[in-house]
Amino acid sequence: MALEPIIVVDNVRRHFGAIKALQGVTAEISGKIIGLLGPNGAGKSTLLKCLLGLVPFEGRATVLGMSAATDGAAIRVRVGYMPEQDLLLPNMSAVELCAYAAELSGLPRSEAVQRAHAALYYAGLEEKRYQPVDTYSTGQKQRVKLAQALVHDPEILFLDEPTNGLDPKARAEMLELISEMPGRRGCAIVLSTHLLGDVERVCDQAVIMHRGAVKFSGTVAELRQTRGGDSEYTVSVRDNAHDFAAALTQAGLANEVTSPVALRVTVDPAIGPRQLFALAAAAGAQLRSVEVQRDTVEAAFLRIIGAANDDATAQANQAKAGAA
Amino acid sequence: MSAPETNITPTAPAPTRSTAAIYDLGYKRYVGNRVAASARWRVIMRNQLSTAWKGWWRLKFPLGTALMISLVAGAVMYVSSNKLFNAIASKGMGLKFSDGIVPFSMTFFARAGFIFSLTVGASVIASDAQSGGFTFYFARPVRPIDYVLGKFAGLLLATSLIMMAGPLFLAAERLGLAETTSELIDLLPVLGKAAIAGLAGALLYAALPLGFSALANKRRTALALWAGAYLIAGSICSGIGLLTNTPLGALDPPTAITSLTFHLFDVEWKGRSAMVPMPYAIGAILMYVVIGLGLAWWRVNNSRSTGVGGAP
Repeated sequence: MALEPIIVVDNVRRHFGAIKALQGVTAEISGKIIGLLGPNGAGKSTLLKCLLGLVPFEGRATVLGMSAATDGAAIRVRVGYMPEQDLLLPNMSAVELCAYAAELSGLPRSEAVQRAHAALYYAGLEEKRYQPVDTYSTGQKQRVKLAQALVHDPEILFLDEPTNGLDPKARAEMLELISEMPGRRGCAIVLSTHLLGDVERVCDQAVIMHRGAVKFSGTVAELRQTRGGDSEYTVSVRDNAHDFAAALTQAGLANEVTSPVALRVTVDPAIGPRQLFALAAAAGAQLRSVEVQRDTVEAAFLRIIGAANDDATAQANQAKAGAA
Repeated sequence: MSAPETNITPTAPAPTRSTAAIYDLGYKRYVGNRVAASARWRVIMRNQLSTAWKGWWRLKFPLGTALMISLVAGAVMYVSSNKLFNAIASKGMGLKFSDGIVPFSMTFFARAGFIFSLTVGASVIASDAQSGGFTFYFARPVRPIDYVLGKFAGLLLATSLIMMAGPLFLAAERLGLAETTSELIDLLPVLGKAAIAGLAGALLYAALPLGFSALANKRRTALALWAGAYLIAGSICSGIGLLTNTPLGALDPPTAITSLTFHLFDVEWKGRSAMVPMPYAIGAILMYVVIGLGLAWWRVNNSRSTGVGGAP
């Protein structure tokens, strides 16, 4: 069953002077943890700010069915935002900061204080919550930023580079928190990052942005097989992969022996792996495993970005030729 | 269901509970009513007051200074309540020394107000810009008007404690020192005059530093700008006004406040600073309040529309 989109953007454009930050972004985004991927300067943070109604834009964007252009305040009641940069007010403890954040989001004072404690417990800052936020380490500051974003019970959380500056242990803990949040708190998460490992680990959906436009939108599984059908397989055999490779070559299938007992084979996607089984039986090779060869998120990402760069170069060359 | 038995000896220690462990604490989504958006400024005002109260140097020091001024002036008023203030009388004032204490004390309360502007007022918006506070506020359903109003109201309340409570206390003491009922009735307007003078001072010393705090992205730069404008530019205006006998001195904030106060109390002061006519003093105070709030509004609204809290 297709999930109902929580965010719909249609031809969203935003520019800062001559810089085109968003150039007609169009996507329907659904899922529990959505990775918003892109290199630095791709327009991820600008898109998040547009969705929060913080900056004006052209085009149409809705979050939870509300227009980002006109209902920004109503969206920000139901959405939490953890920005990339610091946002911690000095001279306040974490619990004061979170309670203040909740009150600004409309919670009554007593409820705000209770939920501030709960959010800080949730973020793992139970023992440090009375200390001034100025004295926190980078990891602790990231946790406070997360707590202040979720203290008012948002239905969607926008997390902008939440693992930036964290050591591996703190990063793993932050990702653990993020991955458990939809189940525990019932909120969807939009995780904006350029760290592909983070997306691979926690996200079920991915949106790839490059140069202010969406280049891919779909599930992470779809992202990893965007080559167009499953045609590459990694095959393990009991012994002597070279013999089986020779049989495959004879049958016209491209292959590469990667170890004495493994090889990579490209088959006709219309036929699929059945061809492999038939050839193995004929050649007397005993197959141990046949796995679809899929991209890592990183490889898929690089391929999509690379293709976008090639297109841009081709267009530029075409324009140059036309001008000449 | 029990776990299947294995004969594998564990080689690694059992996993410990990470610090990222989830604490549910009976979590339930909040379904109650939310406070109206129009009340957000009160939350900001309360926070402004509570953060100003923290530490000894932010609000407590200028407030303590104002308290000392009140106590000293009150003691002097008590001691000299039945003596003529010869220095003023010799200039044709015919004013009791104790009557002059209330307006004269305003010059000192203005200094306490300036101290508060240095410890808190002139760095409010710059501090938020520096620490990412704009993002904190505007990623929530907070409008620029709520922010400016809340910050201004918080500063105004704190400044009122410094610049209005003291004069009111002294005015009340002066009423208490009245020797006859008719004198008491005659002196009643002193309360109103002290309140007006204190309120004007509080408005000026809340709004103008707030405006200066909007001119910089760093706290120290904003403080330097405000201190420079107040001490140097203000003194220059006052000096030129005194030398040329023009109302230019009204552009000096303490001169504007003291002039207004002296006019309210019918005191003619010929001191080191210029005394400007009442309309100029009122005009300058109103102009500074409008400029201060206008600058704050311009900065906050501009920051919000161009992408809060960082590079767009």
